[in-house]
Amino acid sequence: MWEQIRSNQVKSIILVVLMGVVLLALGYSLGLLFLGSPTAGLVIALVVWAIMNLIAYFQGDSILLSISGARKIGPDDHPRLYNVVEEMKIASGLEKMPDVYIIDDPALNAFATGRDANHASVAITSGLLQKLNRDELQGVIGHEMAHIKNRDVLLMSMLAVLLGTIVILAWYASRILLFSGAARGGSRRSSGGGGGGGQLIILAVAIVLMILAPIFAQLIYFAVSRRREYLADASSALYNRYPEGLASALEKLASSDTRVKAANQATAPMYTVNPLQKKGMAATSLTATHPPVAERIRILRAMGGASYRDYERAYAQMKQKHIVPPTALVGAAPVPLRAASPEEAVTEKVEHARDTSDLMWRLSNYRTIDCPCGARLRLPPNVKQITVSSIKCPHCGRVHAV
Amino acid sequence: MRCPVCHIDMMVVEYEKIELDHCLKCHGTWFDASELELLLATMGADRAGPALTLTPMTSTVEKGRRCPICRKKMDKATIGDEGKVLIDTCPRGDGLWIDGGELVHIVTELAKKSDGKLDATGIIAFLGSAFAAEGEDSEKS
Repeated sequence: MWEQIRSNQVKSIILVVLMGVVLLALGYSLGLLFLGSPTAGLVIALVVWAIMNLIAYFQGDSILLSISGARKIGPDDHPRLYNVVEEMKIASGLEKMPDVYIIDDPALNAFATGRDANHASVAITSGLLQKLNRDELQGVIGHEMAHIKNRDVLLMSMLAVLLGTIVILAWYASRILLFSGAARGGSRRSSGGGGGGGQLIILAVAIVLMILAPIFAQLIYFAVSRRREYLADASSALYNRYPEGLASALEKLASSDTRVKAANQATAPMYTVNPLQKKGMAATSLTATHPPVAERIRILRAMGGASYRDYERAYAQMKQKHIVPPTALVGAAPVPLRAASPEEAVTEKVEHARDTSDLMWRLSNYRTIDCPCGARLRLPPNVKQITVSSIKCPHCGRVHAV
Repeated sequence: MRCPVCHIDMMVVEYEKIELDHCLKCHGTWFDASELELLLATMGADRAGPALTLTPMTSTVEKGRRCPICRKKMDKATIGDEGKVLIDTCPRGDGLWIDGGELVHIVTELAKKSDGKLDATGIIAFLGSAFAAEGEDSEKS
């Protein structure tokens, strides 16, 4: 397994450097355009890159968690979720329990972030928590745990922050160019003597670079995260000995219409299923952050056992390519599949939904009134807006003092 | 969640383990899609079946509302077999909005019938019994 992590790390470092090169190229052209000297642009880009890397390394996880509006929970807040995370922590062999976060969002998704295995977090939307049964939840948490175990989290967080920087820089540069470019170009022509043709070519190259930089950065980013998704699927199947759990969870995720509210271009690759992708988009499109879900489900369902070898075989059959590093396959013992957990009754499903919503109301400081008639009323914290001193239970008509 | 009519935070009423968002000011009620799913699951397919028949309405005098979740303009529809209850549905499928007046109408209609729930379809019967006290209120006033 170490080899898989190693190959992952080496490839990721190359990609972070590549992202840096794209940023430097962008800085070069921006410097040329606006500061009149490419060196100044390069220096600025280098400084920005260094700062962004430092921030991404030390603060990336908390930035991403706060952008998504995630809240940390403890073992008593949601025992079912905490329990599954603990199970997956043991199955994956992680030393430290990752922090568990919940995002108050009806959309179905989850992600992992962090610096390394000892500073990691798993976040899940309340919608997903409500919809999944235990096997499916294990599959999803196993997938996120694999991202932590395979050291994907740091590089994915860093890439997210770097990509964000490049997108923002290019966006501002193109706006500045649009609104002030004409005026500046005019003054330069009058002061500088000859060599106008050469400058024009550089200008054209700079503009092209500025347009292409974010696209390139995105492509690199996608390439990196797609391979990781397959590997994390493979690990999840191994931790659970039950690939069908993840497959069925992915099916639910793919068929849900609601997209994650707080997701944007930079955080999209973090999620289990791309939250920005529209329904009916070409499944094989290059810009899909995650491999097509249908393909991931088919590979998981084609597995004869739960080992990496089984995943490799199923993947090779589908794509005529390899995915799992050969060193991870050597000496791996066959892992039999386990049986499905007993199906949940409807009442259990309702209980799960209430466990999750109870937690969400508590976290948002709603006040709870239990009416003797059996109805439960929850008042928003700022109920003063309509100045009520008492609340009438809409079911039985009893009046409760507030 | 904010009331699409009054734009204030709504109260949450949990009745028979199903959550409904209820506005204290206009008495309108939001029935979230995930809660609706739970209700239909507990009721079983045979009872829930007719409840899901929504008839789209193109012309109506009632004011248009926006979905409290996705902010898209909701569509008007009538619910149930008799087509008497006018509701708003989110085009994205986030849920249903029942205006305060419609809710009181449901409750009073149900209260008039001595046999109660029998001939009302699932969702309407559920709303009627969850907000049984809302009807009394309007009769007094």
